[in-house]
Amino acid sequence: MLKATSNKRKEREEDSIEEPKSLQNSSLPLNGNLELNDESGDEQSDEEDSDGVQEPFPELDPASDSDSDSFDEEDVEGLDEDEESYPDDSGSDTSVADDVTPFPKPRTIISNITGQPKRVYPEIEPDYDSDSSTEEDPTRIGNVPVEWYDDLPHVGYDINGKKVLRAARGDELDKFLSTVEDPSTWTSAMDKKLGMEKPLTAEELDIIQRLQSAENPDANYDPYEPTVEWFTGKGKEEVMPLSSAPEPKRRWQPSKWEKQKVMKIVRAIRQGRILPSKPKTSSDAPQYYNIWSNEDPSSSHVPQLPAPKRRLPTNSESYNPPPEYLPSEEEKKQWEETEKEDRERDYLPQSYPSLRLVPAYDQFIQEQFQRQLDLYLAPRLQKKKLNIDPESLIPKLPSPNSLKPFPLYKSLRVMHESRVRCISVSPDGLWSVTGDGKGHILLWEVTVGRPVKRWKFDAAITAVEWCPRKDVTFFVVALEETLHAIIPPNLSEPILKATRTLLAPSELPANGSAPTVVKWTSDLSGSSEDKPILSLRLPASSGSPKQVVFHRRGDYFATVCDAPGQISIWIHQISKRHSQSPFKKMKGAVQRVLFHPIKAHFLVATQRYVRIYDLAAQQLLKTLQPGMKWISSIDIHPSGDHLIVGGYDRKLCWFDLELSDKPYKVLRYHTRAIRAVHFHPTYPLFASSSDDGSIQIFHARVYNDMMTDPLIVPLKILRGHKVSDGLGVLDIKWCSGSPWLVSAGADGTAGVWFS
Amino acid sequence: MAKIKRRGESGAAKAYVTRSAAIKKLQCSLADFRRLCILKGIFPREPRSRKKANKGSSAPTSFYYAKDIAYLAHEPVLKKLREHKAFAKKLARALGRGEWSSAKSLDEQKPVYRLDHIIKERYPTFTDAVRDIDDALCMIFLFATLPSNPRIPPTLISNCARLAAEWQLYVMRSQSLRKVFLSIKGVYYQAEVMDQTVTWLVPYMFTQTIPTDVDVRVMLTFLELYQTLLGFVFFKLYTDIGLVYPPPLDIKKDEEAAGVGAFNLNEIPQPDALQSNPGPNVDANGKKISSKDVRQTIKSINADASAPSAGTKSTALEAEAPSTEETFVPQPSKNATGLETVDLPTLQSIASLPQTTNTSLFSPFVFFLSRETPRPLFEFIVRSFGGRIGWPASSGAGSPISEDDESITHVIIDRPVVPKAGETETQALLRLKRKYVQPQWVVDCINAQKILPEELYGQGKTLPPHLSPFGEQRGAYEPLLNGEGGDGNAAEAEGSEVDEDEEMAEDEETAPILKEATVADPALLRAAEIAAEAAGVDAETFSKETKKAQKRSRTSEKTVGLEGEENMNKMMMSNKKRQLYERMKHGERKRAAEVSLSHQR
Repeated sequence: MLKATSNKRKEREEDSIEEPKSLQNSSLPLNGNLELNDESGDEQSDEEDSDGVQEPFPELDPASDSDSDSFDEEDVEGLDEDEESYPDDSGSDTSVADDVTPFPKPRTIISNITGQPKRVYPEIEPDYDSDSSTEEDPTRIGNVPVEWYDDLPHVGYDINGKKVLRAARGDELDKFLSTVEDPSTWTSAMDKKLGMEKPLTAEELDIIQRLQSAENPDANYDPYEPTVEWFTGKGKEEVMPLSSAPEPKRRWQPSKWEKQKVMKIVRAIRQGRILPSKPKTSSDAPQYYNIWSNEDPSSSHVPQLPAPKRRLPTNSESYNPPPEYLPSEEEKKQWEETEKEDRERDYLPQSYPSLRLVPAYDQFIQEQFQRQLDLYLAPRLQKKKLNIDPESLIPKLPSPNSLKPFPLYKSLRVMHESRVRCISVSPDGLWSVTGDGKGHILLWEVTVGRPVKRWKFDAAITAVEWCPRKDVTFFVVALEETLHAIIPPNLSEPILKATRTLLAPSELPANGSAPTVVKWTSDLSGSSEDKPILSLRLPASSGSPKQVVFHRRGDYFATVCDAPGQISIWIHQISKRHSQSPFKKMKGAVQRVLFHPIKAHFLVATQRYVRIYDLAAQQLLKTLQPGMKWISSIDIHPSGDHLIVGGYDRKLCWFDLELSDKPYKVLRYHTRAIRAVHFHPTYPLFASSSDDGSIQIFHARVYNDMMTDPLIVPLKILRGHKVSDGLGVLDIKWCSGSPWLVSAGADGTAGVWFS
Repeated sequence: MAKIKRRGESGAAKAYVTRSAAIKKLQCSLADFRRLCILKGIFPREPRSRKKANKGSSAPTSFYYAKDIAYLAHEPVLKKLREHKAFAKKLARALGRGEWSSAKSLDEQKPVYRLDHIIKERYPTFTDAVRDIDDALCMIFLFATLPSNPRIPPTLISNCARLAAEWQLYVMRSQSLRKVFLSIKGVYYQAEVMDQTVTWLVPYMFTQTIPTDVDVRVMLTFLELYQTLLGFVFFKLYTDIGLVYPPPLDIKKDEEAAGVGAFNLNEIPQPDALQSNPGPNVDANGKKISSKDVRQTIKSINADASAPSAGTKSTALEAEAPSTEETFVPQPSKNATGLETVDLPTLQSIASLPQTTNTSLFSPFVFFLSRETPRPLFEFIVRSFGGRIGWPASSGAGSPISEDDESITHVIIDRPVVPKAGETETQALLRLKRKYVQPQWVVDCINAQKILPEELYGQGKTLPPHLSPFGEQRGAYEPLLNGEGGDGNAAEAEGSEVDEDEEMAEDEETAPILKEATVADPALLRAAEIAAEAAGVDAETFSKETKKAQKRSRTSEKTVGLEGEENMNKMMMSNKKRQLYERMKHGERKRAAEVSLSHQR
């Protein structure tokens, strides 16, 4: 705003600069000055021409037109004629107030061209209002913004096309000197167009002063002019009506419709439909009535679940309870230390000798409030309270007493020097052979427990197994990378002979096509009972066989070695003295293998799965998933339809092979890893041994019909082996033909459990 | 093709809404929502899966049934609450502009909601309502004694006090009080109204102040609902027994602190009874009673109240209370009319047989309260059981009996014995005639349903323990109830309990002495008996206990033999059942530990 005014001021400066040149009357008031100033006429001056006087309409100058533009004569003529007629129309008026008329007086002359008299008006001096482009610029550079030349040494061009040079301007020192020397410097301003300082005139200073004091810049402006009453006041009243229409009735008659509306309300009030003001007294007191007068039980609304009632107080809440209810000091302390929410009861039992001594209960309102919070903030659940005897949850199983015989106690003990790792019972159930960690093999009688013979090898015995054939008698011992077949002493002559001919035949069977990597060597002399009659040397670095298992016919036996990355399963045929490995490679580390008792199936237990292969068709039949982390042992029921799998993760799974590849039952009762499981060949029993030093005996009855589930009844927990180095009972075997059990313990004893 | 199921469009996601969603839907403030929930009885629900209900988020929120909220959306009270919001704005504007007259007229048109329809909705039958008045009574009795403050106006307090008095009057009139328990929190009462047991708790007479951690708004909203509920329930209860509701209040008496006596119980004037009985004004205090009224009451009570028990305890009481003959008792005096009516069992008496409570337990007695005993408590109890009671003027006006009345049989006193120096002869005579008992005697008599010997509860004596009439939880420790004062009846009851216990085969319930008694050796048994006698157990109970103990030991032997087998069978349980079993066993062990701890003390 200030900038705009300063711009104007500069314009005015220009004007005032011009004035002395052209007219030399600087003392004139600004307004008059502007009027007279024919040179300066731009639109800014319009605003300053604010005296309110209507400017006369600028008249066209026909003469000038005719002078300059002679080629459009006809138009001018037409105009002329119009103008000629105009004063005629208003002739009387102009004559009345001749000097009032804004139009200048014309002169009548005879036209040179037409010869007719013609009115000629004096030439109009171009005024502010006149749109004249001929006004002169003091700088002669044209109406060009000065800032275009800001970067140039000149400030424009004169009419001859010469550069108009910028006036020399002093530096800051000159400016300062001029302020010192010339007292009028501070009232001068920079004229941009001229490029020099110009002193302000007295009028301009006056305007500045007025602007500074927030007054109207025009000194002549009178804000308190007397009003001129043009149409009011005495003698100026309009006496005649503007319209001659008669006055409408509604001006003086009361409204019919209003009356109807009011009457409607009045009637409604009279009839009581509208209450002008509510009755005050009756609403205060609540009105009660028989709200249940018509109880309709067939209400569609489902009744809400009623809130549970508060718990009724018990003896301990009494003001005078029996002394056994009073808390001891430590109970009090414990109660005070527990959080309010965790307390079992929200009060401490207290005793007062008399009713008058009972104080107020300080938590009364809090408890009421808590109850209300429960009522509206707590979700309500209908919880079924199990009102059953917990004992009824235990499954009802036949009593173990009715399922006798089964092993009950440990009757015999055979001592070894180190932990007994494996045990096997002869097919007639009379002899047992055990192998220990120091390479000793002990043959002893089951019923007596007396060692009959002792063999010594130079490596730990990892597995021992009797051949199930009845016509020959020998057992296979496994130690590192070797298998030895040993004939027990004191055999009858025909059996001994048959065994000898089987294991060490005089003429070796024709070893056909495939030469095997397993080396079979027989002790042909057969003189010494201390030496194994047959030895099998497995390929080097195949590891020690951890299991030896016979086919039920006794011709084949399989071994599982535990060396990683090698062929771990070998099947050896005694009659042909031939060994083969049925699997090129096996997924997962093989833990145990088993021949199916009836079919030509072969079961392989890897770390997590049990796979069943058909040996004849040479294909995988099914994969069982026990869901264990690490299988330790498997055994199959003599019927061939059921399988038990024991694991190092303490679980025992019972599989019904006909039913599913998921376990029928998973039992977890041992506290440590299961080491061995075994089905009794004839009795409905099975047992599992574990590292917790216990052997569990189960009754396992399997039915022939498909519909009945097998019955598993836990019978007895046999404890007697000590746990040494975290190992308990490493192996168990049933004696065929009797419900007896032999066990190999890590404590260096082998036990016999009689019924 | 089947319609594609989208997430969050069916099932739990649709059936539940969170609280904030509910508020958004109802377009009300949280405070209004709370108020609505309290009034309508809507509470949050626990969805089976919070994640499913909350569209996959597991943020902790409370859920409501979407149907409950939809049901709230049509609630007239909600509409009124919205109107009230608008009204509050208008009023605030008028006040802010200083337009007092318009503010006044606005205030006169203030929207007020009524809760009648909510009462009817929430309690479709009267029985439902009676079943749910426990909390209402607790609140009413609490607020009846609270001091008023700017948030709790005195009108509210007085209304609560009126409702409390009306309830007490009804219970006294209908003689439906059953059990009373003096606890450390307050006095628990249990009444039987419309076959529903109603239990309420009344704080002791001390000034309570509302603590700062309690939201008074919530309490007041509940109170609003409870006042309406109780109003309607009392109306029905009163009109059903032919009384005018609300009973008119005698303001003069009320100002003299007459308590419940300030109310007049007026019978509803019946058209036929009008001529014969122009003004049947039965004063609740039993003061101005004509003989006709007495006869009428006797008749009515014989008809509806419990049949008087057939002379089991009457003879002794008769001998005690001949003096009460001359002053009429508003309750049935069995000694006068009961014996005749009992001979012929009516249908009603047979119907009321199982309910063995004796509501006219104190009818032969006249009590006088000592100054230090709480009058409202004992006035209510004694009159509920048919007794008459008086109190000194310091406990309030309106006592029907003065202290030197000849008829007073018992004085309830709660102060130590102080030898009285200046006692006149008549006073001493009166003292000898009266029995001075401690307050607990009254309550124990009610709970025991018979008059207990007063000597145990005499003035200044150490009281026997006060036990809860509501019993203990199942399997919890039960203190021996008989004590020294038990007679044959109690012993019998004890015996039956013992039998039950035997069946339950609970372990370790006997004292250590009895453990010795399990030994079969007769010499040892004899020694144990002597020891038990020395300990204060009489011979009969001892023999019973020994039998019990022997039986138990036999059973326990049996269980020991089977223990291994049972443990074995446990391994055949499924995981789920095993966990359940373990939990139940844990609870059992915990309870047994508590019981054994109590026994050791």
